[in-house]
This record gives sequence, C-alpha cells and structure tokens, in this order.
Amino acid sequence: MNTDVIPVSVLTGFLGSGKTTMLRHLLGQTEFARTAVIINEFGEIGLDHDLLAASQDSIIELQTGCLCCKVRTDLAETLADLLRRRDEGRCMPFERIVIETSGLADPAPILQTLMTDIAVAGRLVLGGVVTTVDAVNAAATLAREGISQKQVAVADRIVLTKLDLSDDLTDSARPALLRRLETFNAGAPVLIADHGRIDPRLVFDAGLYDPATKSADVTAWLAEESHGHAHGHTNGHAHARHDAEIKAYALLRQEPIRAVALMLFLEALAEHCGDDILRLKGIVNILESPDRPAVIHGVQHVFHPPSFLDRWPSDDRRSRIVLITRRVPQRWVEVLLEAIDAEVADVAVGG
Amino acid sequence: MSAAPDDSVLELLAQSLLAWRVAGHVERTSDGALVIGGCAKNIRIDRAPPDLMFRWMVTVDGRQRPAISLVAVLRQVRAALDPGYTANRVRIAAAPLVPSQ
Repeated sequence: MNTDVIPVSVLTGFLGSGKTTMLRHLLGQTEFARTAVIINEFGEIGLDHDLLAASQDSIIELQTGCLCCKVRTDLAETLADLLRRRDEGRCMPFERIVIETSGLADPAPILQTLMTDIAVAGRLVLGGVVTTVDAVNAAATLAREGISQKQVAVADRIVLTKLDLSDDLTDSARPALLRRLETFNAGAPVLIADHGRIDPRLVFDAGLYDPATKSADVTAWLAEESHGHAHGHTNGHAHARHDAEIKAYALLRQEPIRAVALMLFLEALAEHCGDDILRLKGIVNILESPDRPAVIHGVQHVFHPPSFLDRWPSDDRRSRIVLITRRVPQRWVEVLLEAIDAEVADVAVGG
Repeated sequence: MSAAPDDSVLELLAQSLLAWRVAGHVERTSDGALVIGGCAKNIRIDRAPPDLMFRWMVTVDGRQRPAISLVAVLRQVRAALDPGYTANRVRIAAAPLVPSQ
C-alpha cells in the first residue's frame, strides 16, 4: 500500500439529509483542517459552497449538473487540477479530500471513477463512503427513492441526522428505522450527528486506507464486527430481510483461492450480475501468495486491480468477501466461486 | 469422454438460472450429462473428450460448441436462455495476479 496517497471520502445522502450541515461542522475541527472539498449540487445555482466556512481555495464547486452523470470527465479533471494546485503550492497542502455529492446522485459512478481513473495516477485512494440519513423522512424516502436505497447500501458509515426534530421517533420507531437501514446495509455502523456535530474520527476514517496509520485497515473496512460469525454458517452470512431487493452478505472461505480463480470469479460476477453488484470488497487468501493477502473492491462492473498487503492484519487468514447486491442470490455467488476454483485446481493437476 | 460433470456443476447451473431469473431446471441424464429443461431451448452439457483442448461441450438445440471453462459454459447457456443478455466481457485489469517481490 502506497503510504503517500491521499484518501478521498465520499459524502452522500438524499436531498436535505444534512450533508452540508455535518460537513460544515467537520471542517471546523482541527482534524479536518487540511481537507479539500468538492461540492456538487444539482441545479444551476449552488448554495452549499457558500454555507461552508472554510478555506476558499480548497473548496471547488461543480455546477455542471449531477456529478454522477458527468463524473468521468468532470470529477477526474477536478481532482487532477486539485492535485496540481497542491503540488504547485497554489492551495493548502491538504491531506484528504471530501466529495459531497448532490442528493440525487447515484454514488456508484463516483466510486468507479475513484477506483479507475484516479487509481491509475496512484495519488488518491477511496477513503470511504459516508451516507447521511434524515431520521424524520428516512422511512418514506427509502420506500420511494431507489437512489436513497443505493446511497445507504454502499455506505461504510451511516450517519443519522435530525433526531432532534423527530419527536415522534419513539423508542419503537427508532429500532424500526435501524432495521430498515439494516436491510440495505448491515455492515456499516450507524452513527448519530447532533445538529451536524459528530466525531470526525468516527466518520471519515472508514476506508481501506487509514490516514492515521498510513496503512491499510482491512478489519475496519470490512466491518467484520458487523458481519460477525455467530450464526453458525460455514460459508457466509446474509444480513437482510428476504423481501428486500438489496442484500448484504459475506463469503467466508478457509481454503486459499488460486489467483486465476479469483480473477475468473470476479469477471463472471461482473459479466452476469454487474449492474446488481452495488459494492464488493474483500481480503483474499491467495494460494500463490500465502503471506500477502489480496485486497479487492469493486462497484457494479468495475473492479479495482487487486492490491496486496505486506502482511495479514490479524491471525485470521480466511478469505472474507463482502457483497452488497440487488437480487443476486448468495448461494449462486458461493457455488460460482467454489466451482471455478475447483476447475482451476483440476486444470492445474492436468485434469 | 471424460468424467461426467460433478454435482457442483449441476448446482452452479441451477443457481445460475435463479440468479438470471430465467425459467428452467437442471437434470442429470443416464449417461451423466447435464440437461436444462423447462425452457425454450434444449441444452445439454457434457465433458469434452480428453483429446480436445476444451473442457466442455455445450449443445443448444442440436448445435454443439466447445467451451474452454465453466465461465464459458455459463456464457453460452445464458446467451441461449436470456434474450436480453449481452455478454459484457470485462477484464479485471492488467494487474499482477500475485504480488511482485
């Protein structure tokens, strides 16, 4: 893992869910002093830019439309320009970038851009996805807006906002909302922002790359605690109600996977169900690389080239692959991996 | 012929039909091949003869084609059963499969 990379966090959430309020608070914290912000608003006149009281030379507003629609060019060019300005000393030497999406943005193309165009440059790394959820309107919004479901599904952290306004969010309603969120994303911790105030360390250090240690923090990234092993399954765990289209589950595998089998597996996933792979991330025990696990992640059809950690982050050397999918059966994913790995093994011994 | 497809291949095909949300069921014939019934096409999957470089033979409505791997079998079966399917063949990356030392 490159120790000089700059993490890029994506702050998303439906319209009016409190993204800018929370970001305004975070930018006032010491930990966030060296943060560059890219804001995208849907519409001709952006306001969020004016609401953020931070160093103006490190805030860029994209007013070209919804970020997800023009992401490949606009975002990539904006990030490249930001890095250029940093290198030339024309803006503060920021240590992280936050992209605040429009409330109507599909986060998937944004994540894909961060994993492809930018990864090639080797300067930036996806630092995690944070999704704000308005506690007052969340139930109705999630029921009505597919984009809202997707924003929740891909999150590494979910932040509940406006609890102070939701007097009717009674003791019974709050667990119901949490269960509803869990149907879309069981792996992400749910945090609470009080009038936008929240501990910065809890929010944005959610990606594979940990800015504090300048190394990969796979355990936190995979949210292993949330994908605990208490259910007694041997292969994986489903964490969503069966009536929900979006499900999160994890594949666990004791035996190492051959490198070629992993590539074929990811290709088959993308080929047959790419549209419905909202997010995939994992740490994989590669047979040919027993001491250096591979880290994989992808969004829909796009997979980041596997990277290799210098060592295992713990004694647990099982492969763990977390998938957030829409209508992709867990069992199919499991048997696909098993069958491909068995075939590659068979070929290896001349079968 | 080589050994018949094992049960894991049968389950993979059955689960694939579910994942693709296409009608059909998978059965094993008396000679060990796998057939997909209950759908618009007659599909049969055999292991390829050992003297061929291919591992599988996929027969769709009497037309037999070789397949080099299970991934290729799935592609052929999906193309036959799912009219809305267009193969989206992706390469993961020109990245090393194992870390460089």
